[in-house]
Amino acid sequence: MSVSFFGQARTVASRDLLRERRSGEVAWVTLPFGAVALLLVPIAIGTDAPTLRAVGIGMFWVVVMLFGVLVSVRRTGADSQSQKDMVSLTGIDPAASFVGSAWASSLLLIVFEVILGLLTIALYDIRIVGWAWVPLILILVAVGLGLLGTLAGGIVSTDRSAAALVPLIVAPMSVPLLIAATQAFEGLRLGHSILTWILMLVVVVLVLAIAGVLSARPLQETG
Amino acid sequence: MTTTAPDRSRVWPWIAIVVAGLVTLVAGMLVPQDAVQGQLSRILYVHVPGAWLAYLAFGVTMAASAMYLWRSTLIWDRLAASSAEIGVYFTGLTLALGMIWGKPTWGVWWTWDARLTLTAIMFFVYLGYLALRRTTDDIDARAKRSAILGVLAVVQVPLVHFSVVWWRSLHQAPTLLKPESPDMDGEMVVALLVSLAMFTLMYVAMMVKRMELARLEEQVLRAEQSDAGPVAGAAVTAPSLGEES
Repeated sequence: MSVSFFGQARTVASRDLLRERRSGEVAWVTLPFGAVALLLVPIAIGTDAPTLRAVGIGMFWVVVMLFGVLVSVRRTGADSQSQKDMVSLTGIDPAASFVGSAWASSLLLIVFEVILGLLTIALYDIRIVGWAWVPLILILVAVGLGLLGTLAGGIVSTDRSAAALVPLIVAPMSVPLLIAATQAFEGLRLGHSILTWILMLVVVVLVLAIAGVLSARPLQETG
Repeated sequence: MTTTAPDRSRVWPWIAIVVAGLVTLVAGMLVPQDAVQGQLSRILYVHVPGAWLAYLAFGVTMAASAMYLWRSTLIWDRLAASSAEIGVYFTGLTLALGMIWGKPTWGVWWTWDARLTLTAIMFFVYLGYLALRRTTDDIDARAKRSAILGVLAVVQVPLVHFSVVWWRSLHQAPTLLKPESPDMDGEMVVALLVSLAMFTLMYVAMMVKRMELARLEEQVLRAEQSDAGPVAGAAVTAPSLGEES
């Protein structure tokens, strides 16, 4: 019995989420780490309420970009060589495996964004305008970052230096996501149209998805 | 008596020295100084060619990476990696010279201008490319992984170049690479073009030497890997009778 492409991707995503549920790496390590970062910023720049309100949304996105990479390269999302060989022998399409891993990372990143977002609103006294757009922006950024992190994790693919190297690759390449997300929130605050920024996020997500699917097989061949 | 063929690669360092001398002569002595900026404008004759070489080098990295993914021939990998290394060097040089020029002109070493920021980001993306190549000793895996990143990373080049058009920028808009005639004095344009040609020649000289070095590094790596495996029975030693251990 053959399983469809999305069936395979769903299986991989379920496996990654099950591993995360068992280990709790994102919930108990990365998420608290991001929260601590949000607490440290006011200590460094001052606790003046208007200043914090002005920098709050920007700080939220910086923390999401930098710490979100750690969600994508979590140890529970990485396969050992024997696991990779086993997945390869089962005949799972490498592209489906990529989509599944990115899917799991994106779901975790959405949870990560929501919890840190609520914390930012509370700590920095942020007032969000245009709530209807917020879920769409959060989802697009999470999917983009999930795809980028999974792709970079596949390219690096070694235990030797993945933890240090993947953030070095992902952080500069996530700049279009950061620009679009921050500008979309700024547009909402000023009452401007944010369609251009939404379109930019969609284009980045599509480009990353195509790049990841096309490079999945060559990357699997490298082991 | 045996004779050996002359080593032509020895010519390239001399070419690089002559090129550096010519650029110094043209930019430092023959061209008049700028009416507004004075001697400071001479940085232009190294800053602009440095930026041009960064574009060229990263473009070559992308093309060679694509060729490697298509043909799986290691010479393309060597070409991509050598070009990226030289590109990173010249991007760093361009950034440093821009900062040196920026302090007396703008009053700050760094300003949050789109061109500057994106150039710095491009520098770090390709630094990541070079770091990626150091993560594994498997030559084929390294080539394939870095080829994928080499193709993806090139998106930074048009972003950097058109940033001064797309965003309001403090940085000067394109002077030579634009549809209209350049906004510069004729002598300065000629000097800049000479400097661009000289730097391009220097890039070729550096590439020839770097690719040769990359080929030798590969040979060493293969030799080490072929010697690395333990010989069957190597752990067994002959019994030494009558000796106390």
